[in-house]
Amino acid sequence: MKLNYQKTGIFLVLMVFSFLILPVTSFAAIDESEYIVENLKVTDIPDDDGTGLVISWKPLPKEKRIIEYRVYRGVSADTLFYIGKIDVNVKTGVPGDEVFFYDTAYNYFLDITSRGKMKTEKGQPETGPIYRGYPRDLNITGPQLKNYRILGVIPDKDYFFKNHKIERVKDDETSVYAGMKLRNINLYKKLNPDKEYYYSVLAVNEARRYFPYTEPVTGTPRNNSPEITKEFYPVYVKDIDRLQFEWSLASFTSDHRYHSLYMMEKKDLEDFQKYVAEQKEIELNDLAVKINSTVTPLEKKLENPAELIYFRYSGFPYTPCKTVSIQLKDGRIVSEKPKEHGILGKEIDVDIPFDENKLEDYYFVYSLFDWAGYETFSESKPLDVISSEQLPIIPPFTVSDRDNDKGDYNYIQWGKPVVYLTNSTYQNESRSKLLVNYDIMTNREYKRIKNVYFKVYDSSGNLIKTINEYYQDKRIKIKLPDGSDPEAPLTFEMTIKANKEIDEDYIFTQQLIFNEQSKSLKPGKLFLGNEDIYENDYYVYRNNYTNEEFRLSKKIAGTMRELDDNIRFSNVHYKGVREFDAEKKLLLVSPAFSARDDFDDRTQSVGMNLYSSEIDRTLEKYKEKLAEYKTMKDTVKTDEERVEAQKQIDDYRDAIDDYMQHPVQKKYLSITSEKERLKFLYKTRNFAANSFEYKIVKSDGKGHFTETPVYTRTNAEPIETNNYNFSLEGFGTNHFFPQPNWFKANMVPALIAALTFGLLVFIMVGKAKKGHDLFIRPIAGIEEIDNAIGRATEMGKPILFVPGLSGISDVATLAGLSILGRVAKKAAEYDTKILVPVRAPIVLPIAQEVVKEAHYEAGRPDTYDRNSVFFITTAQFAFVAGVNGIMIREKTATNFYMGMFWAEALIMAETGSTTGAIQIAGTDAITQIPFFITTCDYTLIGEELYAASAYLAKEPLMLGTLKAQDYLKLLIMLFILGGTVLSTFHLTFLINAFPEK
Amino acid sequence: MKRQIPLIIVMSLGFLFAVHTFVPHKYSVDFYDWWVSWSKAISPFAVVLGVMSLFMVHGTKISRKLPNWQYSLVTIAALIFTSIVGFIWGTQEGSPFMWLFKNVQMPMSATMFSLLAFYIASAAYKAFRARSLEATVLLAAAIIVMLGQVPLGHMISKWIPATSQWILNVPNLAAKRGIMTGVGLGMTATSLKIILGIERTYLGGGD
Repeated sequence: MKLNYQKTGIFLVLMVFSFLILPVTSFAAIDESEYIVENLKVTDIPDDDGTGLVISWKPLPKEKRIIEYRVYRGVSADTLFYIGKIDVNVKTGVPGDEVFFYDTAYNYFLDITSRGKMKTEKGQPETGPIYRGYPRDLNITGPQLKNYRILGVIPDKDYFFKNHKIERVKDDETSVYAGMKLRNINLYKKLNPDKEYYYSVLAVNEARRYFPYTEPVTGTPRNNSPEITKEFYPVYVKDIDRLQFEWSLASFTSDHRYHSLYMMEKKDLEDFQKYVAEQKEIELNDLAVKINSTVTPLEKKLENPAELIYFRYSGFPYTPCKTVSIQLKDGRIVSEKPKEHGILGKEIDVDIPFDENKLEDYYFVYSLFDWAGYETFSESKPLDVISSEQLPIIPPFTVSDRDNDKGDYNYIQWGKPVVYLTNSTYQNESRSKLLVNYDIMTNREYKRIKNVYFKVYDSSGNLIKTINEYYQDKRIKIKLPDGSDPEAPLTFEMTIKANKEIDEDYIFTQQLIFNEQSKSLKPGKLFLGNEDIYENDYYVYRNNYTNEEFRLSKKIAGTMRELDDNIRFSNVHYKGVREFDAEKKLLLVSPAFSARDDFDDRTQSVGMNLYSSEIDRTLEKYKEKLAEYKTMKDTVKTDEERVEAQKQIDDYRDAIDDYMQHPVQKKYLSITSEKERLKFLYKTRNFAANSFEYKIVKSDGKGHFTETPVYTRTNAEPIETNNYNFSLEGFGTNHFFPQPNWFKANMVPALIAALTFGLLVFIMVGKAKKGHDLFIRPIAGIEEIDNAIGRATEMGKPILFVPGLSGISDVATLAGLSILGRVAKKAAEYDTKILVPVRAPIVLPIAQEVVKEAHYEAGRPDTYDRNSVFFITTAQFAFVAGVNGIMIREKTATNFYMGMFWAEALIMAETGSTTGAIQIAGTDAITQIPFFITTCDYTLIGEELYAASAYLAKEPLMLGTLKAQDYLKLLIMLFILGGTVLSTFHLTFLINAFPEK
Repeated sequence: MKRQIPLIIVMSLGFLFAVHTFVPHKYSVDFYDWWVSWSKAISPFAVVLGVMSLFMVHGTKISRKLPNWQYSLVTIAALIFTSIVGFIWGTQEGSPFMWLFKNVQMPMSATMFSLLAFYIASAAYKAFRARSLEATVLLAAAIIVMLGQVPLGHMISKWIPATSQWILNVPNLAAKRGIMTGVGLGMTATSLKIILGIERTYLGGGD
């Protein structure tokens, strides 16, 4: 189409109409009052830790075209900050009558990406109260810290090496903080229990118009007791005198401090229920008192008739354990060591008689204590008395470092491989042919499964098929005997032959049973001997070096035989943040941290500090106290006071000794350089925080479980110790630190292939240099390039060259650019114009340089036009429209498409075909090759694209690589052929030598 | 030097990234991630180059009143207008920019994409003309595969879906894998040529 001024005018009018008039209609005047959100309510979330509120409101009608509701929060009605939004599908609106926004748990509060200054929200009054997010300005946000529980997340390196020591004096007491710049710390917040918060909401429509806010509404989060544990199973294993307990995990665990077990006799059940009811009453009364101070607080009258027999720290944020076993000692329940109970405020030292003649009289309860001191009890349950024969048998397990990783996994394996059926389908209408799918679970010890043998029996017990799966493609085909019932169950006996010997009686049996719903045979229970494999799960527990409790790492199915246990690699410090220094723009956190907490053995615990002066000060304090009590002991008058003073003297002396004798502390004190000390602390903590010990529990989920002891390395290779982990007790024997690997062993075949290829390249290049004639198969598409350029020259029309649509990181684009260089040089020699439209901006300057260089090489720098290589757009189909327009307007005589193409390939090539241009395409996109073949005159298929540049160059170096490529291809073909022949004869060593991925 | 420095950079980094493939160590992973983040940072600058190129090409056409210069005017006007709208009102959902994207660019792209259906029909016609033995085999295979994908094929014969699946799973897959093997080798060879400095065309000129 030829354009004139009139047509151009119409174009421009249409553009103005499209770009201006229509969008403006979206901003037409509307009554804002109709867009104010109504029925805004703020309510407390039940069963939580008193830090959650739910904000709800009535959504505006769909016709209002709302795309989001923005929520604002503050501690007073005059200043509310944006905290989050609810997106709305503008076409469907909000389904239901209410919109909910949950302000709970730790979520984003402030970081370096927060806005610099306080700014009112769009479309809201300049005088407030609706502001955008909390600003980085600590003069404004700093005072807000006390209104929330703020958690600072600091990368380890920043915590150790980018802190600023800040001293604060308050009431003659000097406190030392580590000051962190906002760029080194991210702040997350939780609401404070019993504090009043204000919330407001405003709506935004699809034109991003912010409507007036709703009048703020208040809400106060309240602390509630933990949710009731739904499942609890007490078990007594009579012959080995052991109590076992298992419970389900709560869905909300962040508030849990302790989990406990109580025992009572049947006669106490009624009193216990009264106690539980009183506890609930007290909790409700506490809440009523908080709301209305005139309400009289209830006093606790009843004592818990149940005896506390066990309690442990629940240990948020990790998943707590869900099983425990207590070994009875001489008919008594005895705790291993006395433990301090933080809520009851006393030392718990259990020593309770357990009469095995009164088993039916005993009832047990599981409880959860939260940090506020509220306790929730499960249903009381009597004992399930069993014998140890009913417990599952757990195979031995090992822990090691996972191979071929960057040091972020430990590897746990146990038992021998498992083979089981997964599905089956009838293969024909008469249902006489069956395709059965199976799967194998194995581990590193039995990594190579040589054979899987199947024996298939019909419902009468007749053997109908024997199969040897020497190559396990996870499916077998079975033809049922003529006349047999296709719905009758089939029994499979499965045995395995692996790289290590497996007992002959290690036989799995499983049935395929007809399922009426799916009308097919489905796998039933899987048995290994008498053991139902599906009945039990494995719980892998791990215990971090810096902590004292085992946590559930993963619960996995009974068929599994290994676990890759992920160890977080990037270490961070979690620190509470309440103080700030607005002048220095610092957030203040505690410089103290733990290298290890061990509640059972305090001498193993070690607390450290970023500043050595603080460690010295702590020791000085201990020494002062020691001297103080020594003096006191000499001056006190009563024996009781003297005993108490002696106790304090012993405690402080032990504390000083433990502190000075702990290997970490000793090593720390031996280092003189402050920087080296910090480095030592950083590395030591890193080792400690990423070191774990393991144990496994195999359970049916109802307390019938077997637990392994903690895995201890005995005869394996020694763990390399260094300056940082030598001081960690048990490191390398009990505790395992994942080791980074320097080589991916599974990449050996790839490395050998790469080296072989490199060698072949050198040999062939050498041969080519010496003048050997290297035969290269003629490729029609490449040979025609010269003719195609000549045609364009004869016609006096330009050449179009599209170097693919992908970026520079795609090798196909590089190959395309290489061909462009050759084509552009030839075109320059013939003085033919070449047009190169580019989609990826980063390809543009490279393509320009390639064409420019080609012109220089051809001795025609004057004919180079920088604008002949140009960017169109990154949009795929807009690019096609542009290229098609060029073909039609410029009447290009020759079109080259060399590189990576997608759906646009056919549109371009067909358009070029209709313009009568000669077209040569080359791509490695398998899906586009057929389209190019049908529409282009010549097509370079796959590897030919990469060969084209070398083919055109006719240089020995280039031809050498091409020849090497051919020889490697021959080698691959030989391997494929060899693998096929050998595996046909059940020799799978060759195909097994190559990893599947 | 203008050619040697980029060559040294390409060769050394090419070698390091090749080594990275075989080294899973944290140092190697961190090094790779660090470079990837750099490449992300470079991309926006390349866009500036692209926009400049667009202005130069179309600006020249407009200033010299070359044939069809009016199209260039529309392109430049649209570019400026869309950029201004994006800079002033942002690009989030509901902004005029998004309005333009959804109501101008997306329908236009969809129009181009829908052309594909007609082009496929045209290409199919070209491909399926039984002019030679190979083309006849292709036609027969295509008919079986197409019928195998629809209920009609199953109604005609139960063998059609099975044969269709066989064609896709055996000869088709074998050919695809053959091409992929060649492509893999070609990519490796090209990469090796670049790393070893044998292939330098991509560097352009300027000694």
